Amino acid sequence: MAVMSYIEAIARGMWEEMERDPSVFLIGEDIGAYGGAFKATRGFFEHFGGERVIDSPLSEAAIIGASAGAALVGMRPIAEMQFADFVTCGFNQIVTNAAKMHYRWHLPVPMVVRLPSGGYIHGGPYHSASNEAWFFHVPGLKIVAPSTPSDAKGLMKAAVRDDNPVLYFEFKYLYRRIKGDVPDGDVLIPIGKGEVKREGSDITVITYGSAVHFALEAAGILAKEDGIETRVVDLRTLLPLDTELIIDSVRATGRVLIVHEAALTGGIGGEIGALIAEHAFGSLDAPIRRIAALDTPVPFAPTLEEEVLPGTGKIVKALRDLSRF
Amino acid sequence: MPPSQTPAKTKRSVLSNAERLELYYYMRLARECDNAVLRLYRQGKVAGGAYTGAGNEATAVGSAYALGEQDYLFPMHRDLGAHLVRGQSLRNIFLQQLGRGESLTRGRDGTGHYADPSLRIYGNVSHLASMIPVAAGVALASKMRKENSVVMNYIGDGGSNVGDFHEGLNMAAVMNLPFVLIIENNQFAYSTPNSRQFAAQKLSDRGAGYGIPGVTIDGTNVLLVYETCRKAVDRARNGGGPTLVETVTMRMQGHSAADDASYVPPAMIEEWKKKDPIERWERTLTADRVLNEQISGQIGEKIHAAIEDAVAFALASPYPPAGEAAEGVYAP
Amino acid sequence: MARIDVVMPQMGESITEGTIVKWHKKVGDRVRLDETLLEISTDKVDSEIPSPAEGVLSEILVGEQKTVPVQTVIATIETDGKGTAPSPPPADAPPVASVAAATARGASPASPAAAAPSSGRFYSPLVLNVAREEGIGMDELERIPGTGEGGRVSKKDMMAYLAAKRSGAVLPARPAAVPAAPPAGITMKPADAPELRAKYPAPEHEILQMSNVLQKMAHHLVQSVHTSPHASAVHEVDMTPIVRHRDAHAAEFDRSQGFKLTFTPYIVEAVVKAIKKYPLINSSVEGDKIIKKNFINIGLAVASDSGLLVPVIKHAEGMNFLGIARAVNDLVTRTRSKRLLPDDVQGGTFTISNYGVFGTLIGTPIINQPQVAILGTGAIRKLATVIDEGLAIRSMAYFTLSFDHRIVDGALGGMFLDEIVRTLQRFDTGLRF
Repeated sequence: MAVMSYIEAIARGMWEEMERDPSVFLIGEDIGAYGGAFKATRGFFEHFGGERVIDSPLSEAAIIGASAGAALVGMRPIAEMQFADFVTCGFNQIVTNAAKMHYRWHLPVPMVVRLPSGGYIHGGPYHSASNEAWFFHVPGLKIVAPSTPSDAKGLMKAAVRDDNPVLYFEFKYLYRRIKGDVPDGDVLIPIGKGEVKREGSDITVITYGSAVHFALEAAGILAKEDGIETRVVDLRTLLPLDTELIIDSVRATGRVLIVHEAALTGGIGGEIGALIAEHAFGSLDAPIRRIAALDTPVPFAPTLEEEVLPGTGKIVKALRDLSRF
Repeated sequence: MPPSQTPAKTKRSVLSNAERLELYYYMRLARECDNAVLRLYRQGKVAGGAYTGAGNEATAVGSAYALGEQDYLFPMHRDLGAHLVRGQSLRNIFLQQLGRGESLTRGRDGTGHYADPSLRIYGNVSHLASMIPVAAGVALASKMRKENSVVMNYIGDGGSNVGDFHEGLNMAAVMNLPFVLIIENNQFAYSTPNSRQFAAQKLSDRGAGYGIPGVTIDGTNVLLVYETCRKAVDRARNGGGPTLVETVTMRMQGHSAADDASYVPPAMIEEWKKKDPIERWERTLTADRVLNEQISGQIGEKIHAAIEDAVAFALASPYPPAGEAAEGVYAP
Repeated sequence: MARIDVVMPQMGESITEGTIVKWHKKVGDRVRLDETLLEISTDKVDSEIPSPAEGVLSEILVGEQKTVPVQTVIATIETDGKGTAPSPPPADAPPVASVAAATARGASPASPAAAAPSSGRFYSPLVLNVAREEGIGMDELERIPGTGEGGRVSKKDMMAYLAAKRSGAVLPARPAAVPAAPPAGITMKPADAPELRAKYPAPEHEILQMSNVLQKMAHHLVQSVHTSPHASAVHEVDMTPIVRHRDAHAAEFDRSQGFKLTFTPYIVEAVVKAIKKYPLINSSVEGDKIIKKNFINIGLAVASDSGLLVPVIKHAEGMNFLGIARAVNDLVTRTRSKRLLPDDVQGGTFTISNYGVFGTLIGTPIINQPQVAILGTGAIRKLATVIDEGLAIRSMAYFTLSFDHRIVDGALGGMFLDEIVRTLQRFDTGLRF
């Protein structure tokens, strides 16, 4: 067990997988000698060499397409998008090729695409994207979104070993801000399983990513000031959703608030709400509510960004409203 | 002389007569298969779309003939000849076209959109040029594993303008990958003629843009295609990096069976008919006494029988059960 | 012999029909496999159609120049031998397997306990489910006290009710509906009083029993009049700024706070402010001593169907507008649902009685002992009023202060009331919550 930051945990996961399996390699922009835009791959080039840590030309379609090709013939590439925002340039390769190959060809495509995602970092509209919902709608993909260092390492290892294309959303806001205990060695977090990060019997929050930390903060405030105990559920995997955990968590309290940093309309929260209404209607003591970003691109000015993105304050208020229903 | 049944092996640069006859056999087989698919389409048995390679036979066959067993083929929709050279069975071809449960995609995709790792064939998708980065990735893996394999990929005059063409080719070039990209310039992309498709004089000039050699050749000359591609494959195999080969042909039929190509000036069709790749090679082989009417007749009968068998087999084969529709989205 | 159908093919993904241009064969003709049978025309392309089988053209079902949808059978061919069998239908498909994801373990949909609730109260699916499981009918459900928004029964309320029911505790009966207006009159039961029957025989006379609460109230009021020499002052107040502010913010307040904004918090706040200026109003008398209170507990007279109750907002001196509003709502809700605790109705230092809800314009309230004053607020009406030499339509009301003339005289009473009026009339309509 060691304490490390969120980004260190991601790196640790990749490192261990590369040591373990020679078919694992990295490809992305500036990931080699430079160590990556966020220094996620610092030290990899020196240790594993340029053959396994490949600096690609600026070309998301080539990075992702070549990863799919290499995966088709038995390699296990980890492709880095410098920012999740830039995945749009490689979107076609993900949904046309990577996602559909197994269904059509019965051939596995064991690739991972890392997506530095999310705002709260004054990045403006093109460095703050939360675009996981686009891919949520594509059968054939898996999507993970860890919120803690130990989950980050465990899910990276699981993603590399999964035989399907896995989109690994990592949250820039958490990179160096969150530190935590990370188990040594081969500890994998299973893809498709969420976790209850905080127990509570009055009200449930279902969330992922940076929002997990805001939700925990809000839960603390509610416990102290209102005497309300909140159960915080961290999904950890978005596709496939841990439906069992979601339903159980709704049954435990009867009141549910879904929180995600991504914009409200068409966000994954809608699907979760529909699942709850479909499978746990009889357990609902109040309407299903969501807190999410406003339906805007993420703005640059700090006052605007704060207004658009959800935070602890908005979650506290929503939880109070919901508990009063 | 019966044509070879096995996938093409690495050949000498100068082809034997048996090999030259093989080229002829595969070109005729490709054309007859295409015609059979057209008939089935017009009989309502093939659904969706039917795409033929009429006029492209020399390019498809000559290029694939330059590959060895360990090489990879990423064909396009007018390269049925290449599939056949690699050794794909006719039954598999027609199962695919007819969307049957026992096809190589288990009925999940049609036409040539299949993958057959045993023959190292990875078919195209409808998004033209999308497979170029994937093909480059296979070449990258081959290089990393020191496999000594070459990847051959195709694209059309229209598809060569898509972003993925440039991104994939650039990556192959800068990483010096064992990759051969063939631009099949058949003058039309659906209804759009070259004059509306790009301003470049020759599409092989694009090679210079990526720092690799580019060459434009007559795509109806099967031997020239073979020799040119053979050089490119050898260069790639020896670490010389990618080559861009532009084969100039004519699309002799519509974009698909649902296109009557009335936008093509009839005079153009007449001109290109004179350069029909199969007839040209027939004349050459006949002049060299490698081919005569008897041999040609035998080959014709064999082809006819093989296609009849494959079509009947495929038509009798069941569709995949509906209950399987949701299976196989993910690898276990 | 086998019969093979010739169908109109689909010549292109978007094509839905085709037209027969020319039959190349007639009925009775022999046809070979793949021999041209007919010519068709579609939106995209004209095409020759090869025969799908070898045999005799036995029927032509669609004539030339006719247009039919794709897949329509246009002719039939009788083959000699087996012919080309049509593609076999797909094997019996097992029922479509449910895809991954959700295990359908949802609780069975909630069915209402009995009929729809007559009170119009909303019951969540969870509450209805529990009611059904516990055998609680709609009548009983309607009587369960709710602490949720608008008196709603929440899961907590349900569980509390069930626990109390199991333990045998007697629960106060809840009125069938939460009345918007105060209940009309206090219900009394017929009394058994044989000693009065002589003086008041039936059927001209009905003898009713005064409830304990009623007797208490009667006693208290008589005592109050005997204790305090009552005098009253009446002032007119222009409630227009308050009315406007409330109208402007009612919806948003309801949304953000979860309960309705009434006039009461405005008035309570003004009273608290006035008391701070004239603290003698906030006191009581002990013999020849005046007990001045340094805390302000505002009582609100609330009509309920069991009598007049006066729940108290404790320590109003430390509350802002929002705090007062919440406290008012909390007390009113609990009063209506009979959840008041003894402590809630004790310790008041000043009382407000809002008889305006009954339409009363001017009242003469009786002091709530041991306090020394009580404010009565009358109905708000739109009146034509003079303002700055001009005429305007304003929302006006009469406030009455009844006071104990032992220690509060007309001057003090008048000034105190004036302070309230001024505060209300100067209300900052820009106040946001």
